[in-house]
Amino acid sequence: MYVGVDVGGTFTDAVLLSNGVIRATAKMPTKADLLESILEALDVVLKDVNIRELKRIVFSTTVITNLIAGQKHDKVALLLIPGPGLSHKHYDFKAEVCVLSGAIDYRGREIVPLNEKEIEEALSGLAAKGFKKVGVVGKFSPRNSAHEKRVAAIIKEKYPDWQAELGFRAGPQLNFPRRAVTTCLTCATRGPYRIFVNSVRQALAKREITAEVFILKADGGTLPLGNSVEQPVETIFSGPAASTLGVQALTPPDVTEVAVDIGGTTTDIALILNGQPLLSAKGARVDEQLTQVRALAVKSVPVGGDSVLELSGNEIVFRPERLGPAYCMGGPAPTPTDALRVLGLTALGDEDKAREAMEDLGAPLGMSAGEAAGKVMSLVVNSITEEVKKMFLEWEQEPAYRIWELLQKKKVRPSIVAGVGGGADGFISQIASELGCQPVIPPYAPVANAIGAAVARPTLQVSLRADTEQGYYNIREEGFQGKIDRQSFNERKALELARERLLGKAAGYGLDVALDDIEVTYQEVFNMIRGWDTAGRLYDLTVQTPRGIAGRIEIGGK
Amino acid sequence: MRESIGKQTGLIFFPAFDWAISPTHPEREERLLYTRDQIFEEGIMDLPQISEYAPVLATAHDIARTHFCVPRVEDQTTEAHLIAAGAAILLADEIASGRLKNGFALVRPPGHHSMRVVRGNRGFCNINNEAIMVDYLRRHHGIKRVAIVDTDVHHGDGTQDIFWHDPDVLFISFHQDGRTLYPGTGFTNEAGGPKAYARTINIPLPPGTTDESLMYVVDNLILPVLNDFKPEFIVNSAGQDNHYTDPLGSMKITAQGYARLTEKLRPDLAVLEGGYAIETALPYVNMGIILALAGLDYTYVREPDLRPFKESPDLASDVRWTVDKLMRQWEKRDLVVPNPEHVKGNYYQQVKSIYYDTDGINENQLEKLRLCGNCPGYLTIDTKATHGYGRTGGRALCVSIPFTACSSCRAEAEDLYEQSKKIKEYQHVYLQDKPSDIFLSYDSASGQERRSEG
Repeated sequence: MYVGVDVGGTFTDAVLLSNGVIRATAKMPTKADLLESILEALDVVLKDVNIRELKRIVFSTTVITNLIAGQKHDKVALLLIPGPGLSHKHYDFKAEVCVLSGAIDYRGREIVPLNEKEIEEALSGLAAKGFKKVGVVGKFSPRNSAHEKRVAAIIKEKYPDWQAELGFRAGPQLNFPRRAVTTCLTCATRGPYRIFVNSVRQALAKREITAEVFILKADGGTLPLGNSVEQPVETIFSGPAASTLGVQALTPPDVTEVAVDIGGTTTDIALILNGQPLLSAKGARVDEQLTQVRALAVKSVPVGGDSVLELSGNEIVFRPERLGPAYCMGGPAPTPTDALRVLGLTALGDEDKAREAMEDLGAPLGMSAGEAAGKVMSLVVNSITEEVKKMFLEWEQEPAYRIWELLQKKKVRPSIVAGVGGGADGFISQIASELGCQPVIPPYAPVANAIGAAVARPTLQVSLRADTEQGYYNIREEGFQGKIDRQSFNERKALELARERLLGKAAGYGLDVALDDIEVTYQEVFNMIRGWDTAGRLYDLTVQTPRGIAGRIEIGGK
Repeated sequence: MRESIGKQTGLIFFPAFDWAISPTHPEREERLLYTRDQIFEEGIMDLPQISEYAPVLATAHDIARTHFCVPRVEDQTTEAHLIAAGAAILLADEIASGRLKNGFALVRPPGHHSMRVVRGNRGFCNINNEAIMVDYLRRHHGIKRVAIVDTDVHHGDGTQDIFWHDPDVLFISFHQDGRTLYPGTGFTNEAGGPKAYARTINIPLPPGTTDESLMYVVDNLILPVLNDFKPEFIVNSAGQDNHYTDPLGSMKITAQGYARLTEKLRPDLAVLEGGYAIETALPYVNMGIILALAGLDYTYVREPDLRPFKESPDLASDVRWTVDKLMRQWEKRDLVVPNPEHVKGNYYQQVKSIYYDTDGINENQLEKLRLCGNCPGYLTIDTKATHGYGRTGGRALCVSIPFTACSSCRAEAEDLYEQSKKIKEYQHVYLQDKPSDIFLSYDSASGQERRSEG
């Protein structure tokens, strides 16, 4: 038996899953005390269950995302080692920034050394301003982390109580500005994330649950709860990933579909191509800043069932905010839900009040209640379908760097629009018909996110870079460096080495992975030339345990 | 100049990581590897001033508009070539439509040594990406006047050949003196055909030229000439082998020099050409060019081993002398009469011998331009090639009608094509009818005609 728990800003949902069948569901308002909310939801789904039979619990959460958006975290300073290149004035980080001397090049060679006196001065400056959390981020640090590590050592010696996060661990991909943002967020969220993890642990301990516990990542993979503390930012945005996996589990396999999660004031859209959720080509955008966090390609449109409708000149427009529930449910202003009520597409609320709301809205334009409701409907549907079309177009136009990648790109269009979330019922058939698709509202749609968490498969990855000229390899995620034999090292050995490290890592996480299941997601080999001669080879590869869902939900098996 | 406030710089980065001439050839897969590392690490693609595009494939029709590929376009191009040309076309389309401020196609394989007739690969090039793009712009956007500034260390002899007789395309190439480097051409007296005199400007520079003399050339020759010519679209054939670390060239230009050059030229579209110092130059030069195009501060871009270069007073005065001479040539551009030695009746003709270094092909051409009082005149090329080991590539007649041809030249050229189909010596006969965008090729062995329409 598996349990999925989604701790959202408004509701905490949970489901109990057994042999592909939903055994119980829960939906509780999220309270200030997370521990209490988690316990309440768990108690509902685990009623009458023998806890020994519970194999796995997976959590997803948006509490960290909300924390960042609300700026409710300690202030963080960034110590940057950018070296030559883009002018520093083009950097715009939401943090105190100190630029240090020093530079590493693309091969990991030091071109400018650090200046220790300058570092100490920068640190005492930060100390004077009261900073205790710092991100240390160098350009090309994933190729050589010596500078970042040296700065960290100085911090540890002079200010042992400070929290220092290093860029090569937090942001191992090639992209210095995103590495700086990701490191800054890691620094800011590690503390609060630990509190969340402790609430989960306490909740489980109180109920004597000893099953494996995982946390969902933004890319739809999972991490064991204990290890997740190392990479707290990987778990932000796991909310949209949860509902996407939920849709994947609730709809037929191998289809191309759009998952539309219509909430109170926002609608999240995700694409599932031939049964696989689409990953964003670049990292997630968090609080208007670009990160290296791998995430599913989810777009948010600021419209939902409770959005406020008003007139702007001769046009009906919606404001991306919530003043309360729909007018027909006692709220203060007309909303899309009122339009649905007038059109007979929902049974929620009071019909007369809904008609009144639409009449008031349409009157200045000479529209009847029905006409105004129809207008609102097409407004909401259009803003969602436009975004869907844009997402498919963007996916097609994603840059490719090899001939075979470019030739492989084909036009793909969805056949199903699957609606989940509170507002989905009324809008989904219109959205589907606009896109020439079949509408589907899967059973259990209101708890699809918790289902997504429950079915998510555990994943891990390892990135290896080997340089035969310099005679070493390193594992990016672990900052591990090892020697290789310059003469006999080859591509096959590089792959073996990466797989070996991954299996080792998986074993350390208590995961059982078969060698054959490991996916190679990135593989490059280049000759390195000095003058006209091949001086060595560079191997770059990434392997991971398979992502995806552990199984589908049998529909109708309530 | 186009209205550019608030618009982005378009980039297509297509390193073709799965294409090489041969494993150790300088034009190989990892040529753009470190450039990729540098651009990605700097986060260039995330900057609000930059928009990254995925390339598309050029069509055989786009290529037939510019080239005579013998025997067919399909025989002379691979997908990599179509992608490189297609990238230039896509960006040019976006710029000409006003959706982008300017652009840079960081693509390979390069193209500026490819001439009008293509029988194989020469100087690492099969088809001329810039020329194909320029002809596309003239066809699809009605752009008439174009300037191409070639900043590769090698003379852009292919581009020169294609636009030699074209008064509406200004071709300027500076390069290391042809006496010291491939392809051994590009001297000041190569100045264009009788109808386009001085619209080809070659600026041979002595080995060891630094940023200082290069800026002198830009300020005192290239910019004044561009100002006179008033192009609607400026293309930069952005070779990067003038860099002081390039293994093929012997010049002393820095990444800062390239960035300043770009800033002064203000090209609408830059297209990557050569540059083979894949570690020591390309990552920095490409960064400099991109930042300069996007109007961003490039002054922090510097090579790790950068040192001041000094050029001799002799070199500097040598460059000044060349600039003065070319400026005088430019001023007299409309006063020159065709050399009577080359005029035979109504035609201006010249014999050319072309060597394809990569593929070892010798080609001999007899090029004839119809001298017309009303238009630039149609062009015919009678070509014969010997491939290695005495194998012959067959004789072909190519007839090209320019965009601005008059009706009598058009009729005459069409007639010539039809008559030539009956001449047994020609294995292939081609008609490139640019005004109607129809390209015909006739294969005498099979008696079949292929027709390409847009």
